[in-house]
Amino acid sequence: MTHTQAFKTLSPQGEIDANSSIDLDEELRAAIAEGCYRFHIDASGLTYISSAGLGVFVSYLDELHSKKGKIVFSGMNDNVRNVFTLVGLHKILPIVSTEKEAIALLLQ
Amino acid sequence: MKRLKVYCSIANLSKVREFMRTNLRELEVCRNTSEMLVLAVDEACANAIIHQHNCDGNAFLELSLYRNDEQLFIELKDTGNAFNLNTFEPMSQEERIRTHAKGGMGVLLIRSIMDEIEIEQKTDYHVFKFVKNIES
Repeated sequence: MTHTQAFKTLSPQGEIDANSSIDLDEELRAAIAEGCYRFHIDASGLTYISSAGLGVFVSYLDELHSKKGKIVFSGMNDNVRNVFTLVGLHKILPIVSTEKEAIALLLQ
Repeated sequence: MKRLKVYCSIANLSKVREFMRTNLRELEVCRNTSEMLVLAVDEACANAIIHQHNCDGNAFLELSLYRNDEQLFIELKDTGNAFNLNTFEPMSQEERIRTHAKGGMGVLLIRSIMDEIEIEQKTDYHVFKFVKNIES
């Protein structure tokens, strides 16, 4: 995890399923507890995500929104993006192509 | 027919995905369809492991798959009474966000990906029978 003053970047690697989503949940929970409410998820190293991984992000949205926070994804491959699309999360979570675009959105 | 017996630990979901990817490649299912089927079966197994068996490592599931020219057939056999994938009503995304819920999207994914879902309930076990139409 990398940290700037305005947001944190998380770079999950490989596959996120019901097992590995536990670590992702802990990482997000800890960052929020430290007062970070804006996240850039660099998904370029993410090869697979199941609903358990999606659920981690969704479960913090209400709290982040209430604190003017947000989650922005970049670098997602087509398979991972398709999973977000199938459940309609592409309409709720910003997904952009590049890190530069993600940072611009986070700093708005 | 390809078969896998998997014990009910979420650590074994990676074995389920490996089994599916290997055999779907062997059955000449295209990569995009294959990845969606891997996801749907991962979701079905995760549901059974977590909700049906509470991650009891002594319990197990039996997975099998086969295909003909036009369709792929996947069966998931489990003990006890089936969770009804066809009638379960997942909450809306707005409700999920409001309640901070993590679960429920797996059923949406399974229904989106599979073309047919049938549940065969026997006395001591049940079988989820999934069908996916395959482009020739």
